[in-house]
Amino acid sequence: MNILSLITFLPAAGALVILALPKERERAIQAAALISSGLSLILCGALYVLFNRGTSDMQFVERIPWIPSLGAQYFLGVDGLSVPLVILTALMSFVSLIASLNIKVRIKEYFFWFLILETGMSGVFAALDMVLFYVFWEITLVPMYFLIGIWGGPKKEYAAIKFFLYTLTGSVFMLLGILAVYFNTTPHTFDLLTLLQSHAQWSSRFQILVFIAFYLGFAVKVPAFPFHTWLPLAHVEAPTAVSVVLAAVLLKMGVYGIMRISYGMLPLGFSWFLPILIAIAVINIIYGALCAMAQTDMKKMVAYSSINHMGYCLLGIAGLTATGFAGASFEMINHGIITGALFLLVGVIYDRAHTRDISAFGGLAAKLPVYAGLMSLACFASLGLPGLAGFISEFLCFLGAFARWKVCTAVSVIGILVTAAFFLRMLEKVFLGPFNEKWSALTDLDARELCAIVPLAALTIVLGVYPRPALDLMNTTLVHMAGLFK
Amino acid sequence: MTMLEHAYLIALIPLAASFLILFGGKEDPHSPLPFVGIAAIGWCLVESLGILYAAISGAALPYAQDWSWFSFGMTAANRPFVYDMPIGVLIDGPAVFMLVVVTLVSFLVQIYSLSYMHGDARFKRYYAYLSFFTASMLGLVVSSNLLVTFCCWELVGFSSYILIGFWFERSEPAYAAKKAFLTTKLGDLGLYLALLFIFVLVGSFQIPQIAQFVSRGYMSTAAATLIALGILCGAAGKSAQAPLFIWLPDAMEGPTPVSALIHAATMVAAGVYLVARCYFIFTAAPIAMETVAWLGALTAFLAATMAIVCTDIKRVLAFSTVSQLGFMMCALGAWGLTAGLFHLTTHAAFKALLFLCAGSVIHAVHTNDMRQMGGLSKKMPLTFLTTFIGTCAISGIPLLSGWYSKDMILERVYEHDPRLFIILAITATLTAFYMFRLLFLTFLGTERDKDKHAHAHESPWPMTVPLVVLALLSIFAGALLDHHHLFESLVTGPVSPEIPHPAPPWLGWSVTAAVAASIVAAAKLYGGPHFETAQRLKAAWAPLFHLLDRRYYLDDIFLGLVDLGDRAARLAFWIDSEVIDAIFVDGWGAVARLAAKLSHLFDDLCIDRTVDGTGGLSVTVGGALRSLVARGLAQEYLMYAAVGMSVLAALTWFR
Amino acid sequence: MTLTHHLLLGAALFLIGVFGALTRRNIIGILMSIELMFNAANINLAAFNHFLHPEGVLGMTTALFIITVAAAEVVVGLALVLAIYRNCESVYAEDFNLLKG
Repeated sequence: MNILSLITFLPAAGALVILALPKERERAIQAAALISSGLSLILCGALYVLFNRGTSDMQFVERIPWIPSLGAQYFLGVDGLSVPLVILTALMSFVSLIASLNIKVRIKEYFFWFLILETGMSGVFAALDMVLFYVFWEITLVPMYFLIGIWGGPKKEYAAIKFFLYTLTGSVFMLLGILAVYFNTTPHTFDLLTLLQSHAQWSSRFQILVFIAFYLGFAVKVPAFPFHTWLPLAHVEAPTAVSVVLAAVLLKMGVYGIMRISYGMLPLGFSWFLPILIAIAVINIIYGALCAMAQTDMKKMVAYSSINHMGYCLLGIAGLTATGFAGASFEMINHGIITGALFLLVGVIYDRAHTRDISAFGGLAAKLPVYAGLMSLACFASLGLPGLAGFISEFLCFLGAFARWKVCTAVSVIGILVTAAFFLRMLEKVFLGPFNEKWSALTDLDARELCAIVPLAALTIVLGVYPRPALDLMNTTLVHMAGLFK
Repeated sequence: MTMLEHAYLIALIPLAASFLILFGGKEDPHSPLPFVGIAAIGWCLVESLGILYAAISGAALPYAQDWSWFSFGMTAANRPFVYDMPIGVLIDGPAVFMLVVVTLVSFLVQIYSLSYMHGDARFKRYYAYLSFFTASMLGLVVSSNLLVTFCCWELVGFSSYILIGFWFERSEPAYAAKKAFLTTKLGDLGLYLALLFIFVLVGSFQIPQIAQFVSRGYMSTAAATLIALGILCGAAGKSAQAPLFIWLPDAMEGPTPVSALIHAATMVAAGVYLVARCYFIFTAAPIAMETVAWLGALTAFLAATMAIVCTDIKRVLAFSTVSQLGFMMCALGAWGLTAGLFHLTTHAAFKALLFLCAGSVIHAVHTNDMRQMGGLSKKMPLTFLTTFIGTCAISGIPLLSGWYSKDMILERVYEHDPRLFIILAITATLTAFYMFRLLFLTFLGTERDKDKHAHAHESPWPMTVPLVVLALLSIFAGALLDHHHLFESLVTGPVSPEIPHPAPPWLGWSVTAAVAASIVAAAKLYGGPHFETAQRLKAAWAPLFHLLDRRYYLDDIFLGLVDLGDRAARLAFWIDSEVIDAIFVDGWGAVARLAAKLSHLFDDLCIDRTVDGTGGLSVTVGGALRSLVARGLAQEYLMYAAVGMSVLAALTWFR
Repeated sequence: MTLTHHLLLGAALFLIGVFGALTRRNIIGILMSIELMFNAANINLAAFNHFLHPEGVLGMTTALFIITVAAAEVVVGLALVLAIYRNCESVYAEDFNLLKG
C-alpha cells in the first residue's frame, strides 16, 4: 500500500478500532485515536523526507480503477502544492487530538468522528480524481456537523446546521462543475491531471460558467466575502479542537481548490474573474480585520482574523506570480499553525474562566506568565511580526500582488495595521493593567495544554526565522504553475 | 580584518544571550543571569571598537558578506524562477559609528540597570528584553538586506513594546506600549509599501544592488520619490517625526534606562539611520529631500515648544529628543549626510547621559514631576555635575560635542535654505531655554518637597560610573570626531569628501549668542525660589500654553482616528451580522422556509389528498367486492379461475 | 390416430374434470375430478412426446412424474377430507367457508 493511502486511511482504521471498543474504555479509545493519528503524522515525516523537491510532477502516485463504468479511479498523488497541506493536516489533527483529551461526554463518538474527519481532510489534498475529490470533500462535512452539533456551545445546533447548509450549497455547485467538465471533455474523464490539460477544448463562456460553479464551492470554504458568515458562528460554537482543525485545515481546502482546480483547469475563467478576485481579497483583508476589531469575544475575534488572513492568500493568488503563489501556500501553513495555536489558547482560558469576554479579564500576565507569553507569541505571529511565521508569507503575498495590483495592495496594507490594533488591544485588556482579583484562582497551563501548544509555538518561531524548509517543498511546483498562465 | 569577518556575530550573540537569560534559571530578583547579558554586550562593544579601529586604520569599507536565507518562486518579465533571498552584513561608515553608539550605550545602560532595576520582581526578564532589543537593533544596523533591516526594524519596535510595558501592572505603561507600537506601525506601512516597490523594480533587497540600480539611472524620479516618501513614513514613525511623535512622550512610562537606551540614543535614531542607509534613493528624488528637510525642521520646532511647558522631567527629555531628531532629519534633507549622522552620534552620548541622570534623580526622589524637586544639587553633586555637562552639550555651548554637530547642521542648512536655518536657529535657542529650565527646576532653587528632598541621596556606583563615562564623551566626542574630519571621511568615504563651504563666520557666533541669551532668560525665570515672572507669562499667554500643553491637539486627532477606526469596525460588524447574515443568509433561509411551507400546503391539499383518496376508494371498492365474491367456497374460486382461463383462451384464440 | 385425436381426448377429459370439480358437492368427487384433469394433462404430454419428439422421453418422464405426485396428492387430499369430516361432520363443499377473506 502506498504511503499516501496509509496517511489518509490510518485514521479511518483507527476510527474502526474505536467503534469496536466498548465505550467505557475511555483510555483505550483515546490511545487508539492518538496512535492512529500519530502514525499518520510519522508517515508524513517520511513523506517530507522522501518528497523530491526538484520536480513539479505528481509523486507517490497510486492509481486503481474504482468505478470503471464512470471512469472514476482511486487516484492519489501529491506535488509541492499539496504536500505541505497533507503534512499540516496530520500535524494539526494530532495536536487537536491531544487537546481533545479533556472531552468528557460521548468520548467514543467524538474520537470516531474526529478520525473520520482527518481521513476526509487528507484525502481532499491527496485526491487526483474529481469523483474521489468530491467524495472526500463531502466526507469532511458529516463529522464536522456532528462535532459542532453535539460537543459545541450553547447555539451548537444552529451553528452546525448553518455550517452544513452553507457548505453543502457550495459543494452542490461544485458537483455541477465537475459534471460539466466531465461531459465536455473527450473522452469523458474525471482524471484531474487530464482535465488540467484539457482547457483548450473549452470555450471561454463555458470556462466562465464552470469557474463560477467551482468558485462558489471553494469560496464558501475559504471563506471569501460574502460567503463567510458561517465561519464566526461555527468557530464560536465548536469545541476548541474542532475550531482548530476548522481554521487550520478546512479553510485551506477552499484556497487549495482555487489554486489547483480553478486556476489550473480554467485559465480563461480565471482571468475573467481576476478583477473580482482582487476586490474580494481586499475586502476580506480589511473587512475581516475591521469585524475582528469590533468583537468582544476572543474566539470570535480570532475567527474574523481568519477571514482577514485568508484574504492575504487570495491576494497572493490574484497576483498571478510565483511569489504570490508561494505567499499564499506558505500563508496557508502559517495561518494553520498560528490560528490553531490561538484557538487552543483561547480554549484554555475558556475552560478555566468559562468566559471569553475580552473586557472580563485584566492583568493576567502577572498570574499566568507562561500562558501570557504563549498568547503574545501567537498574537504577534498572527499580526505579522518578523521572526515569527506569519510575516514572510504575508510579505510574499503582498509582494506577489504588488506588481499587478499596486493600488489594491496599497489599500489592503491597512489590514496589517488594523490586525495589529485588535490583537494589541486584546493583549492589553486581558493580560496587562491592574490584576482583576476575580481570577486569582486561575492556574497556568497544564501538561496536556503545553503538549498541544508548545510544538506549534516552536514551529512558529522556526518557520519565521528560517522558512526554507517549508518554501523549498513548494518552490518547483509553484514556479511551474506560475509559468502556465499566459 | 578578522573583526569585520565576525561582524555577523554582533547581532547573534546578544540574541543568544537574550534567550539564555529568558529561559535559563528561575525568576529571581538576585539572579546572576543578567551578567550574561552584560558580558555579551561587552563583547559586542569590543568588536565594534575593533571595527572602528580597523575602519580608521584604513580597512576597505564597505565590507559586505552574504549568505543564503530562503528561496521562493518569483516571476520577472513573465518568466518564473526560484529566487534566492540573501541575508548578510554590510558595514559602511555610518554603520561603524552606529555600531559603536548602540553597543556603548547598551553596555552602559545594562550596567546602570544593575542598580536601577535592583530588586525588581522581573529583574531577569528585564535583561532578557534588553539583550533582545540590542540584538535586533544591531541586526538593523549591520544588515545588507532591506527586508532583514525591516524585520529587525519591527523587532526593535516589538522590544520597545515589551520594555515600555515592562511594568504592565499599571494601565498607563500598557496603554503607552500599545500606542507606541501602533503609531510606529502606521508609519511602517509606508516603509512596507516602499519595500514592495523596491523589489518589484529592482528585484532585490540588497542595498548595494539597489544603489547600483539607482546610480545607473534605471529608477525614474517619480518611483524614487514614492519609495523615498514611503521610507520617510517609516522613519517618521520610528524617529518620532511630526505628526507621529505622539507616542514618544507616553513611552516614558517605561523604566528610565530603557528610555535612555531605546527612546533617546538608539531606536529613535534608527529612522535617521535608515534614511542615511537609503540615502542614494533620497538623493535621486529632490521632492523627497525637501520633504525630509521641512519635516525635520517642523518637528524640531514643534517639539521644542512643547518641551517648554512640560513639567515631567522625562517628557521634557522626550520632547527634546524629538526636537534633536528633527535637527538630524533636516540636515539629511539639506544634503548634509555627514552633519546629520554626526549629530546622531554626539546626541546619543549626551541624550543617554541626560536620561540616565534623570533616572538617577527619579531613583532618588521617586517622582517624575519637576515641581516636586528643586535644590537637589547639594544632595546629588555628581548627578548634578553630569546633568550640567549634558545640558551644556545639548544646548550647544562651544567646544562641547553638541556644539560641533549642531554647528555643522546649521551651516549646512543655511547653505541649503536660509528659511530652514531660521527655524532651526530659533529651535536651538529654545533648546537651551528648556534644558536650563530643567536644570534649574531640578537641581537649583529651593527644595519644594521637603519630604522627598530629605530622602534623596547620591546613586550607587553602577549608576554613576556610566554617567561619568557618558559625560566625558559628551565633552570630548565632538572634538575627537571632528579632528582631521575623521567622521566625515569615514561616513562619505575617502573618495568624495564633502567640499567644505565657507559659511559666514557670524553664523555660528550669532546662534551661540542667542543660546547664551536664552540661558540667561531661563535663569531669570526659574533660577529663583519663586517663579512669579513665569507665572505671569503663563497667565498672559494662557491659550498658547494650553495649546502647547495639549500637544497641539495631535493626541486628540489621533484618538479621533482611533475612534473612527472603532466606528468603522462596528459598522463593518453591523453590516456583517445585520445585513449579510440577516439578509443573505437568514433571509434566504426565511424565503426557503416560506417556500417549504407553501409546498407543504400544496402537498397536504393536493397531492396527499389525491393519494389518500385513491387509497380510500380502493378500500371501499375492495370491501364491497370481497363480501360479494370471496365467500370462502373453494368451488367458487375454482370457477373464477376456470372462467378466467377460458376468457384468456378465448382472447388468444380470437386475436 | 393423429396428434389431434389425442389432444381432443385430453381436452374432453379435462373439461369433464373441470365440470366435475365445479359441480360436485362431495369433496371426494371433486378430488376424483381433479385426478381426471391430471390425467388429461398426462395424455397431452405423452401425445406431444410421441408425435413431436419421438426420439426423446422427456414428456413420458414428466407424465410418470405427475402420476407419482398425483398419488401423493390424493393421499394428502384424502387426509384433509378426513380431517374436515371430523371437524365439520360434512363432506359437502358448500358447508364450509374457511377461506373466506
